[in-house]
Amino acid sequence: MSPNSNLTIRIVDGSLGRPPSHDANPAHGLLGAAVVFEGIVRAEEAGRQIQALNYEIYEPMATRVLHDLARDIVTKHGLLKIEVEHSRGKVAVNECSFRLTVHAGHRKEALAAADEFIDRMKKDVPIWKTPVFG
Amino acid sequence: MLVRVLIFGPLRAEIGTDAIALELPPSANIAAVNDALAARFPGRAAFFRSARLALNSTFARPDQPVNESDEIALIELVGGG
Repeated sequence: MSPNSNLTIRIVDGSLGRPPSHDANPAHGLLGAAVVFEGIVRAEEAGRQIQALNYEIYEPMATRVLHDLARDIVTKHGLLKIEVEHSRGKVAVNECSFRLTVHAGHRKEALAAADEFIDRMKKDVPIWKTPVFG
Repeated sequence: MLVRVLIFGPLRAEIGTDAIALELPPSANIAAVNDALAARFPGRAAFFRSARLALNSTFARPDQPVNESDEIALIELVGGG
């Protein structure tokens, strides 16, 4: 699968840490909206306090499904760029396990794209989370 | 033929294994895998009968044939994002 220059998929062991600084290319000139969504591990899962979530990822299917989804979303919403990062393994409460970055010309398509990507991701991508209790 | 269905996530803990071995006829397809899972776990028959399966890392159609060397995974109850 040859890489598409406006699609980035990354699976990272553990927490994703702080987001990178905004790397918009001013020479591009088309960027009008950058949406960054971060999924944070909550302290409670199904009514019980947890210490962390453990993420299992079925590869290579997960990366391929994410790539296909990202390509579809970029095309459908006319995006400039989409970046997806997801944790594998244990991620503690309050830490980031998922980051989606969408660049578009305008706000509407950026927000719509992010919303649709997450909805579809939650149904189709082979990633599972299991709570880790204290 | 003997096939294995990989199990992930909370379901793994629930049923106590990360792979389910199933004995199927040589001409079995994905639908037969679903039926065999439902028969193995009658208390969750409806869930297993309609569960999505991946065949060699791609979502499978019910009519796709299955070979002993194929990798089959149950892709349900996913929770990414």
